Amino acid sequence: MSVSYSPADMMAVSMARLIRDGEVVFVGVNSPLPLAAATLARRHNAPNCTFISVGGGINPTVDRIMAATSTADLGRGSASIFDNQEIYGMNGRGGFDLTFLGMAQVDAKGRVNSSFIGDREKPKVRFPGGGGGPAILPMSKRAVLWRAGHSPKIFVEDVQFTTSDGNIDRIVTPLCIFRKEDGRLVLDSIHPGVTRAELAEKTGFRIPNLDDAPVTPEPTAEELAIIREIDPDNVRRVEFGLQ
Amino acid sequence: MKQVTLEHAAKLVRNDQIVTIGGTLSQRIPAAMVRELARQGVKGLHLVKASPGFDADVLAAGGCLASVRAGMVTLEQPFGMAPNFRKAAERGELDVIENACPAVMASLQAAAYGLPFQAVAGFAGSDVPSIAPFATVKDPFTGNDTLVVPAIRPDWAILHVHEADVRGNARIYGTPVWDRLMSRAAKRVILTAEKIVDTSHFVAQPEMTVVPEIFVEAVVHAPNGAWPTAVFDRYDIDEPAMRHYLDISRTPEGFRKYLEETASHDRRALGVAA
Repeated sequence: MSVSYSPADMMAVSMARLIRDGEVVFVGVNSPLPLAAATLARRHNAPNCTFISVGGGINPTVDRIMAATSTADLGRGSASIFDNQEIYGMNGRGGFDLTFLGMAQVDAKGRVNSSFIGDREKPKVRFPGGGGGPAILPMSKRAVLWRAGHSPKIFVEDVQFTTSDGNIDRIVTPLCIFRKEDGRLVLDSIHPGVTRAELAEKTGFRIPNLDDAPVTPEPTAEELAIIREIDPDNVRRVEFGLQ
Repeated sequence: MKQVTLEHAAKLVRNDQIVTIGGTLSQRIPAAMVRELARQGVKGLHLVKASPGFDADVLAAGGCLASVRAGMVTLEQPFGMAPNFRKAAERGELDVIENACPAVMASLQAAAYGLPFQAVAGFAGSDVPSIAPFATVKDPFTGNDTLVVPAIRPDWAILHVHEADVRGNARIYGTPVWDRLMSRAAKRVILTAEKIVDTSHFVAQPEMTVVPEIFVEAVVHAPNGAWPTAVFDRYDIDEPAMRHYLDISRTPEGFRKYLEETASHDRRALGVAA
């Protein structure tokens, strides 16, 4: 029996499943979906992972998902406060197994542009900037990128500027999951209900294994129940409302 | 006794100076002070901060900024990008020095420890070092190429804290984000505080003091001084107030009106030490 779920649910569940038990996982700013994923993983498939939040907590108590994940509320329930200097020190030492990173654009080679489009001094589009990405993507053992949108403007053949590049493990979108293989993005799985024609049309580069990749397993009733418990107000949907 | 009014403290910041500002994105930003800087019409500031948000947006709307050296500028969810910063950047009205949070951190760390530069980890494959003030030097011990960034010593660190005394000792509850580092990297510190407390409060638990008085030039009693951004354990982001700001600050006239309508909130008589 199938339970109804949203693209945000599919994304959060997909990201949670990528967390392996025992890993050290970092979730940064602007990350409601990764926060939901890490919280789900700790209650479900990876109870022994260590969750480090940019809000200062090591395994903080997360009883609700918030839109602004830089909140110091994500230090509550933690036995210590781990500030941003500590976080980037740990990243530099190679201490993170898995990091979730947002992005503005990514290209067929898995290069991320979160900086600008056009002339540097007077850009056509100014993006927020890569945050810690240029240092995290090469240092974290695995990085999972996500974006709550999927269009040819986001998934491009070539980025004009590479803000960050490195150990991309997966990229999770509302339509699919990509992985990096031999320096190129390939389809890891396509979400249920998405047609291959739609995915091809909304992706700005050719997907080499478009027809062969499997369908993402649907969220289970148990996964959905936990998501709804930690985020009854559907804050996770906020990422779809902007941009 | 370093306690002064907001207007007085803002006058310490002069045109063309380098400032670093506490908090992050829409969290514990010294918003009253930032608005006062815009009200007083300070120009040409160089903002150096890993993760600016509301501060960069207000200063951009006020035309106060010459440059921003940051890893990321956003108001964060649920508001999205800082629109006035974005507009100023896209018009070429301010210089965005492309960077990364840990590179800004390293520049401030170098300053805090009296070093000329500091090495940074990561950046393989990134174009950021090619368009920003980074350099590659040979590690004299291993012979490996090593990426470094210069020390940056801001003229001012402007920090909003939970508690301060009139001598300039300060406590922050929850994560200090980058504020501890900023207070050591800058030449002098301006504090705005939710609450002015007696020095004995700090003496009782000195390990809780994030900023010691020796670095501090001025202390302002600014209850709700981070509004509409959040202060841990005191107040959350005021979402309607943030939306109102975003709406009204779309035009220069609207932004001026915003500064006027928030003036009485921001400017208060000196609070009395508890």
